Amino acid sequence: MRTSEYVKQQQPVNMAGVGFRRWAQALSKGKGSGISALLSGCRAASGLSKDSLPGPYPKTPEERAAAAKKYNMRVEDYEPYPDNGEGFGDYPKLPERSQQERDPWYQWDHPDLRRNWGEPMHWDFDMYIRNRVDTSPSPVPWSTMCKQLFGFIGFMLFMFYVGEKFPAYQPVVSTHLNARILFSLGVVFFIIFPLTVTILSSFKMAGSSFFQFYSLV
Amino acid sequence: MADYREAPLATRPKTLDPNEYFNLSPEQRRAEEARGAVRANLKRQYQLQLNNPHRKELIEDPALTRWVYARANPYAHFRPTNKTSLLGAMFGVVPLFALYYIFKTDRV
Repeated sequence: MRTSEYVKQQQPVNMAGVGFRRWAQALSKGKGSGISALLSGCRAASGLSKDSLPGPYPKTPEERAAAAKKYNMRVEDYEPYPDNGEGFGDYPKLPERSQQERDPWYQWDHPDLRRNWGEPMHWDFDMYIRNRVDTSPSPVPWSTMCKQLFGFIGFMLFMFYVGEKFPAYQPVVSTHLNARILFSLGVVFFIIFPLTVTILSSFKMAGSSFFQFYSLV
Repeated sequence: MADYREAPLATRPKTLDPNEYFNLSPEQRRAEEARGAVRANLKRQYQLQLNNPHRKELIEDPALTRWVYARANPYAHFRPTNKTSLLGAMFGVVPLFALYYIFKTDRV
């Protein structure tokens, strides 16, 4: 074990420099590579000790008992998540019930969360708070509600798709042709006829007889 | 209380569950007593800390610390299996290539 600097020398020494040098030496001797080499290999002593933090999946009955005690549960109640590599470790599998379902009249330590101090928290606790997902009973069975909603949406989507494929509407002439006909008619009756009448009426001889014929029409 | 009907959209409280009163074996009773003992012990610890007049700091909840630690370190217990590899591929790899293809070929 290395003797510390302040024993060897009597002068004051810059501890930051000492720390940096020690870190660089640990890096050069360290086993890890990449980022893990830069991180410190030890945790601060201020938090929980290693045996009260979650650990790997318990394999022996002794490990199960120790894990149950760690999580403040009875050994018979303790059931870890199945060990299929999904990252749960030895965390207990609690019933999938939201906090809204808990007794509202009991004196909880944390009333808004409906939870007591030290009680094992569900893995999805932040999902099951009262503001979010609620597993309380619904007026109609959940499966019925799902079937009705998705059935309706699916049916409407299917019908809209069919309507796109096979459109149905009243038979009509081309509106473009209609517009041209109407335009031509309008030109004849409202522009050409009045124009000829006014021009011909200025020639008193020939225009007057035509005008008389026009007035009869 | 025999004709109790639970409020709509609420679960029946555990204390009014008929199975709590009828057909209870001694093992079930002992189990409930053990659970109650654990709960009472935790309550006692919390109340002692809460009502301690000399306490100046926050009451630390080890269960909360464990939960945070467990949620933050899943990779320590991760193992590549069929299911986890499939999930990783579906959420991490397929969207990458699919979105690249969609953005490159389809213009709005």
